[in-house]
Amino acid sequence: MRIQTLSPIVALLSVLLIPLVSHAGDIRIGLTEALTGPASQYGVPIQNGFLLARDEINAKGGVNGDKIVLIEEDERGKKEEAINVYKKLIFQDKVLMIFGPTLSNSMFAAGPIANLAKVVAFGTSNTASGITDIGPYIFRSSPMEADVVPVTLRTAIKHLNIHKVGIIYGNDDAFTKSGYDVFRKSLEELHIPVVDTETYAKGDVDFKAQLTKLKAANPDAIICPCLSEEGANILLQSRALGIKQSFIGGNGFNSPKLVEIAKAAAEGTIVGSPWFDGNPSVQNQHFIAAYRKKYGTDPNQFSAQGYDALFIVAEALKKIKLTGQLEQDRQALRDVLPHIQIDGATGKFAFRPAPEHAIKPGGYDANQTPFVYIVKNGKFVLLK
Amino acid sequence: MLAQQIVNAISLGSVYALFALGFTLVFGILGVINLSHGGIFMLGAYAALLLVTWFDLSLWIALPAAMVFSGLVGLLIDVLILKRLRQRGAPHLMPMIATIGAAILMTSLAQGVFGSEARRFPMEWFNDETLKLGTITIPLLQAGITSLALVLMVLMMWVLKRTRLGQALRAIAESPRSAALLGIPVERLFHLTSFIAAALGGTAGILIGLSFNAITPFMGQPMLHKGIAAIILGGLGDVRGAVLGGLFLGITEVFAVTFLSSEYRDALSFGLLFLMLLWRPQGLFGASATRSA
Amino acid sequence: MDWSSWWATYSTLVLSIGVYGLMALSISLTLSCGLLSLANAAFMGIGAYVSAVSTLQYGLSFPSALLLGTLAPSSVALVIGVPVLRLSGVYLAMATLGFGEVVRVVALNLDITGGPLGLNGIPLFTEWWHVLLSVVAVLLLLQALRHSRIGRAFEAIREDETAARLMGIATHRIKLLAFVLGAAIAGLAGGLNAHYTFTLSPGNFGFENAVDILTMAILGGIQGLLGPLLGGAIITLLPELLRSLQEFRMAANGVILIAVVLFLPHGIWAPRRLARWLKKRSKHADA
Repeated sequence: MRIQTLSPIVALLSVLLIPLVSHAGDIRIGLTEALTGPASQYGVPIQNGFLLARDEINAKGGVNGDKIVLIEEDERGKKEEAINVYKKLIFQDKVLMIFGPTLSNSMFAAGPIANLAKVVAFGTSNTASGITDIGPYIFRSSPMEADVVPVTLRTAIKHLNIHKVGIIYGNDDAFTKSGYDVFRKSLEELHIPVVDTETYAKGDVDFKAQLTKLKAANPDAIICPCLSEEGANILLQSRALGIKQSFIGGNGFNSPKLVEIAKAAAEGTIVGSPWFDGNPSVQNQHFIAAYRKKYGTDPNQFSAQGYDALFIVAEALKKIKLTGQLEQDRQALRDVLPHIQIDGATGKFAFRPAPEHAIKPGGYDANQTPFVYIVKNGKFVLLK
Repeated sequence: MLAQQIVNAISLGSVYALFALGFTLVFGILGVINLSHGGIFMLGAYAALLLVTWFDLSLWIALPAAMVFSGLVGLLIDVLILKRLRQRGAPHLMPMIATIGAAILMTSLAQGVFGSEARRFPMEWFNDETLKLGTITIPLLQAGITSLALVLMVLMMWVLKRTRLGQALRAIAESPRSAALLGIPVERLFHLTSFIAAALGGTAGILIGLSFNAITPFMGQPMLHKGIAAIILGGLGDVRGAVLGGLFLGITEVFAVTFLSSEYRDALSFGLLFLMLLWRPQGLFGASATRSA
Repeated sequence: MDWSSWWATYSTLVLSIGVYGLMALSISLTLSCGLLSLANAAFMGIGAYVSAVSTLQYGLSFPSALLLGTLAPSSVALVIGVPVLRLSGVYLAMATLGFGEVVRVVALNLDITGGPLGLNGIPLFTEWWHVLLSVVAVLLLLQALRHSRIGRAFEAIREDETAARLMGIATHRIKLLAFVLGAAIAGLAGGLNAHYTFTLSPGNFGFENAVDILTMAILGGIQGLLGPLLGGAIITLLPELLRSLQEFRMAANGVILIAVVLFLPHGIWAPRRLARWLKKRSKHADA
């Protein structure tokens, strides 16, 4: 009896005390994503993408003979936890660099820690503007909305007859709000008036009030910088209310789930995104097949970006000789990373320096051409 | 457009009302703000989803089964947690915190088991037809939810007003001690109330799951906030008030969107709630304060 | 691990323990007066935003920013306290939760708070001794308060408000004092927090935080001043300690909450229980 009650405690302790077994030739890299809490719906696919890439790289003998070891930590989508995890990875686990965190707000909190410690912080899902202004050690492979949206809009205008639009977006979320800001700016530049703007809050499931109002304003298309979770509900409810117009989505709309859930309601939806599941390139088709085999579900844009990010860093590691002097190695990685180019699951990838702000040098943003595609007969089809 | 918005308001409000019904029942009878009601709401949705997708049951068997399951979860919380606190005569802060713990536990388990991605029932499992009256569209499912909320409310009011059971429950709501002196099996009725309230909460979750792509481990939290607002507007512990409060909240939100701007919807509804508490803490429809107030 | 790398790893955690200790003290102040107010997270948010805007946008010095961050929420508390404190029990809890939502929605819609993106690039000003000094100062203040006439009035109100009023205690004013002082402490904690986490967003001070803070105070116990500090430390450390449970670590958090309410109703640090226990022991020894 006594032993029984103690056994979970013993199990817990033994888990806590197992030392990290590592070999001399291991390259230790931190990976911190939101694995619990609401943001885990993005964090988990990202982590899955990374683990797949790690297995593939190590199966082929690693980088210059060294295996990549990912030290995974949950940051719960909370700023203080992101800071704590960053400090643990940098000062205690002594990693070479860090991937993550998931949310832009968390990167704003944790990024400065890495930058002060002169360690590369590499975000794969942070799209808010200003992230790379934190400093020269901040990298991201996720193109900013500001790069994706103008392309999406111009392509959409070319194919549809758009003179005025309506917008619906979530105004309590950094991701959807910054998407909205960029759409607004692009629309102004293209001189397209917005006839109605509606907002919703996280956790809303019923959008009919806002959509009824949008319908009455009669726009030519509806812009929805939303996440696919709300997006599917918005599409379904719009069609039920008799809204026939096309929807134009941002980064968050790009998920196989959208079509899977909304089905016919998603027809005609135009999406701009760095990743396209129908992209026939060898790398992408291999990635999709391998992901399905390993996890039994379809990958999304977030997993593709995680997957590619590890290959970007592996490419950089091939070009440097690790000395075992942590500070020196961290700096060497930082210096070679900006010049890396790969052709991955998300297509051709390169970095570009963040626009110079004031006196502070910035980090590196993604330099990638987004795909723009439309839903036709239940499939994403590329729009040129 | 206005006619459509009124339909929208009633359909949104009836979802709030259905959730608030069980929430207010526990407060009225047990004198406890059960903050795990959102968790039960979520588990009900998952239970129905699992029965339909894993065990291939028909919706008509899965729905009552999931209702009973939610009820049992509520009963379990009552037996394991609330009963002990009652026996100890703990101040009402304690059940609030314990039920927050239960809600965290449920959310976390659901996330561990099902993941955090939103799910919905497979489309072929339910009817997504709409009723068209001129320019107004009413999804049949929504009409069903609204009618169900009203039927359940009338049923609950009838039980409370007209039956022996209801008499006993009202006696407990007045004072559990004197009810016990009258020979009413107070503990058993506490259990029954917890069961019914949780079954109602679970039903609300199932219906939301049927109507929207919204089954996530976190779906209970926002609903809990709306539920709190609804029962305060209607009067804490009052069954009729909960339903009217839910409808009132739905109407306020939709009209804020229609006549003002959707940006101010939440500020308006919570501001209203705040003012209401200052001006009429017993709620719009509540007659008198309950014993724990 | 040597001292400097330990500090480099855990400094934020240590600062958070202090800051959340302040938050737990702030809510225990209102609780000790019998007020179930859940507005403390919102007051912390007001303090954090006001002080961060002061340093970030107006270039004020850190001490004056902290001062403003303390004054702003207490003035808000003064204004809303007059009507809100007429409520009691769950009604007060609900009203203060509603107030928290109002604050969150305001922060989402204002330009100066950065909307949902929040404020970023807040300078790193908070040092360990700022936090230590604040905790010590607040402890001394609360200790003095406990042993003053006001402290006894708190207790009288908590035990029986009507009786306290009949005894000639200006209950409304005393409750308002507890509410305003609690808000000031929360604002100070918010200002400190903003200046070591680099960023603020409206979601940081919502319902979940209000509940966390309440939990800290209840877990630690509100009979003594050490209880809230202890509760703050445990709740802050718990997610770190439970890291190896991975996706189930929040489940452990929930279980702990339930267990404390069921088995440790007065919290971990309960001087009266300890005193009773010691008395019993000595009686045994005498016999």
